[in-house]
Amino acid sequence: MKIGVLVKQVPGSEASLRIQPDQSWIDESTLEFEMNESDSYALEEALQICEKTGEGEVVAISMGPAVRTTKVLREALAKGAHRAIHIVEEMPYEIDPMLVGQIIKNAIAEEQFDLLLSGLQSNDLSQGQTGLLVGEMLGMNTATLIMETEIQDGSIRVKRELEGQWFQWITIPLPAVLTIQSGINQPRYPSLKGIMGAKKKEIKAVSKEDLLEDHSRLQSFGNIYIQKKDKRTEMIEGGSAEIVERLVEVFRNEIKVL
Amino acid sequence: MLTGWEKLIFLCLVLVSTTGAVLTFRHMFRVIGKGKLPLPWKQLGKNPWKGLNVFFSQRTLFKSRPIIGFIHALVAWGFTLYMVVNLVDALDGLITGFEFLPHHWLGVVYRLFVDIFSVLVLAGVAFFLVRRFVTGDLRLIIENRVLMENATREGIRRDSMIVAIFILFHVGFRLIGSSFAVALAGPDWAQPAATALSKAWCGFTPETLHLGEHIGWWGALGLILAFIPYFPYSKHAHLFMGPINFILAPEKRSPATLPALDFEDDTIEQYGASTIDHLTQKQLLDPFACIMCNRCQDHCPAYATGKQLSPSAIEINKRYYLKKTGSAWLKAKTPPEEKLTTWMLSEEATWSCTTCGLCVELCPVGNEPLVDILNVRQDLVMMESNFPKDAMDTFNKLETYGNPWGLSSQDREKWIEGLEVPLMREKKSADYLYWVGCAGAYDSRGRDITRSMIKILNASGTDYAVLGNEETCTGDSARRIGNEYLFQMLADQNKETFSKYTFRTIITQCPHCLTTLKNDYAELGLELDVIHHSQFIEQLIRDRKITVKQADLESITYHDPCYLGRHNGEYEAPRQVLKSVMTTEASLAEIGRNRNQSFCCGAGGGNMWYEIDRGERINITRFNEAAETGAETVATACNFCLLMMEDAMKVTNREESMRVRDIAELVAERLPD
Repeated sequence: MKIGVLVKQVPGSEASLRIQPDQSWIDESTLEFEMNESDSYALEEALQICEKTGEGEVVAISMGPAVRTTKVLREALAKGAHRAIHIVEEMPYEIDPMLVGQIIKNAIAEEQFDLLLSGLQSNDLSQGQTGLLVGEMLGMNTATLIMETEIQDGSIRVKRELEGQWFQWITIPLPAVLTIQSGINQPRYPSLKGIMGAKKKEIKAVSKEDLLEDHSRLQSFGNIYIQKKDKRTEMIEGGSAEIVERLVEVFRNEIKVL
Repeated sequence: MLTGWEKLIFLCLVLVSTTGAVLTFRHMFRVIGKGKLPLPWKQLGKNPWKGLNVFFSQRTLFKSRPIIGFIHALVAWGFTLYMVVNLVDALDGLITGFEFLPHHWLGVVYRLFVDIFSVLVLAGVAFFLVRRFVTGDLRLIIENRVLMENATREGIRRDSMIVAIFILFHVGFRLIGSSFAVALAGPDWAQPAATALSKAWCGFTPETLHLGEHIGWWGALGLILAFIPYFPYSKHAHLFMGPINFILAPEKRSPATLPALDFEDDTIEQYGASTIDHLTQKQLLDPFACIMCNRCQDHCPAYATGKQLSPSAIEINKRYYLKKTGSAWLKAKTPPEEKLTTWMLSEEATWSCTTCGLCVELCPVGNEPLVDILNVRQDLVMMESNFPKDAMDTFNKLETYGNPWGLSSQDREKWIEGLEVPLMREKKSADYLYWVGCAGAYDSRGRDITRSMIKILNASGTDYAVLGNEETCTGDSARRIGNEYLFQMLADQNKETFSKYTFRTIITQCPHCLTTLKNDYAELGLELDVIHHSQFIEQLIRDRKITVKQADLESITYHDPCYLGRHNGEYEAPRQVLKSVMTTEASLAEIGRNRNQSFCCGAGGGNMWYEIDRGERINITRFNEAAETGAETVATACNFCLLMMEDAMKVTNREESMRVRDIAELVAERLPD
């Protein structure tokens, strides 16, 4: 079984975010990055499926800046992924999910994965679309919020998490794309052999420019700032008619809720 | 005394015994030789004093159980003299008409000594037999929760019985032989016991008396000949192997500081120890030196609170495993395959160790079960990736954020806000680098200590600076848990930071940072001058750089942190600092187990970061001991100890009546404003 895993590098949950002086983006220079939580569960699931079936290949795929993204890919390789694909993109945050989907689709189309796993959503932008979009673009069957997997002959049986403690078991034919919920398994810590071995494994770097014909971005960041909190109290005095008039004015022109 | 035939038989038996001894001792040393990292065997000839010193002084016996230690010393010294007695007896039998200085005062003293001593030995052995087999001393028992085969448990009893019976019969036969001799030659006031016993033979014919004398002689000397080749199979090999252990033991910087592992060497396939062949010669010598006294177990924080770990069980298990598999291992090309965690110590036991170093400190024969535990941890972490989940979280936090709290590395210097603290990145050089440490930077109580230190540093006019956000964890927890790779990664970062600045000495308030920077970094080739804040403050007070108001401090007790005391030998400085804050009349209320016998708080060896769900909590046991002193203030000199003690204080509902303080806090509180 050939399994692809989309892993994203995101700022650690305890990282302290600082805004760049020109307010164009956050200051990434001192930021601690880590593997997106649900992606690390997806990777573990891929490795376990591979170990259970006794054969196959796990390929880790990530998109991000040249230097820092290799860290997350090395981590995946250390844990047991066989090789990695690095889509080099210096400003991944400026690309909208649709475009991300297209880029990844173009990068992995020829791999012909039997199974493609991604985390449910990334802990930074939390759009939750990448896995699904890639799956749809590649014409693969997709299922989200996966809590358990069971490989069968030519298909996969999965447990989906629904609302209110309800679950659903479905069987979908391969090839398929699954987005994995955190907590599905216990992600491993790489052994030393894994860490050493990872240094020798291949990370194929592809440039985003080679994957797309149209490079125009659909979104860009204008101004990043921390929300300002403002507290003001105004006592309205006068007769009831005056008070109502002032209230309407405040609602309409100042708070703009009317 | 002996007939010609008897002499011939005796000499033949001496030959058989000597050959047997050569074979069994050679077997033992060949088994030890299967270990890695050859011991400096030549030292046995070059520097035997290191071992003989311990043998003759018996000094290591008095560290714990002093009364039994004293009895042991009598046995050891008596045994040495008894070697002379056996020699004299042999000459007596072989040389017709031989008598050892029959009329000289020395001969009289000799006979008197041997006679009284024989009775004392018989009484002593009877006492030890009763202690082990009848009344049962709990300290000799290793509870069933500890991994140990039944055959081994039975083996311990059997071997103890064999040795006791040997001594009983050896000395008994000799006394009986002497009594027959006295019966033949007439009463001897220099042999009161033999003379008293000889009364029993009254009415025996001289022939019978001669026969009795011969039987006594053969019984005593014959047993010695039988026992000599048996030595390596009995735990009494400790007689030789203990001193040898002291002669050969490589010098160590501190008990938990292992040599650095080389990750650049491609030929190394195994890190840490998974099977017996991964252990060093020292680790295979230890079990032969072990006498199974369980002194290490007595105060082991894990064992004492009901965990699966017993340090002595590690050595005993190795001993019986080698007994069982040694011959096959010597013959076979492949070593035994059973994992150490299936017979030496269980995985849970491995994680229960707080690396407090008490087992190493108290062992009378220089054994280091702590090293076995650390080696097994290295294997479980780096080779097997099999360790407590919470420890994995700690590793991830260390990797991502450079501190085990998992807080942003950019918030490390947040504690500085509102304080005047010089930063290395601005100052570039200072006499002292004040190493704040992760607890000192992130933990709220740790920050209290840090602020106290800043107050002291500023008040004393010391030229110092801190690294702020440039500091990262020393890697103590990573190394003790067994993640040498992560430890070296963190150490490399700090090494690089150090190289940017000029400073003379590092001051740290954390004994774990102290030992890691001072001892473990030295193993990586970076020699740093590191002192603990207790030493620094003590020096400031002595040099009158700060004046501390001696005040109204109520009763106070001090908990010795393992990594300051046993690991770095500092017991006095914190006590001196405490003296300076107390009124002159007050005295330190010492906890029963103090200084080198201090009982761990439970946080060391990475145990701060994961829980072992068995038995009682170590910190509560320790805090209760501190509370028993009646002191209101429990002083300590370690961030971890402080947190553990404070936690125990809350759990035991003593918040109203007691408080836990770092020595720096007590000093800072009493500095003039």
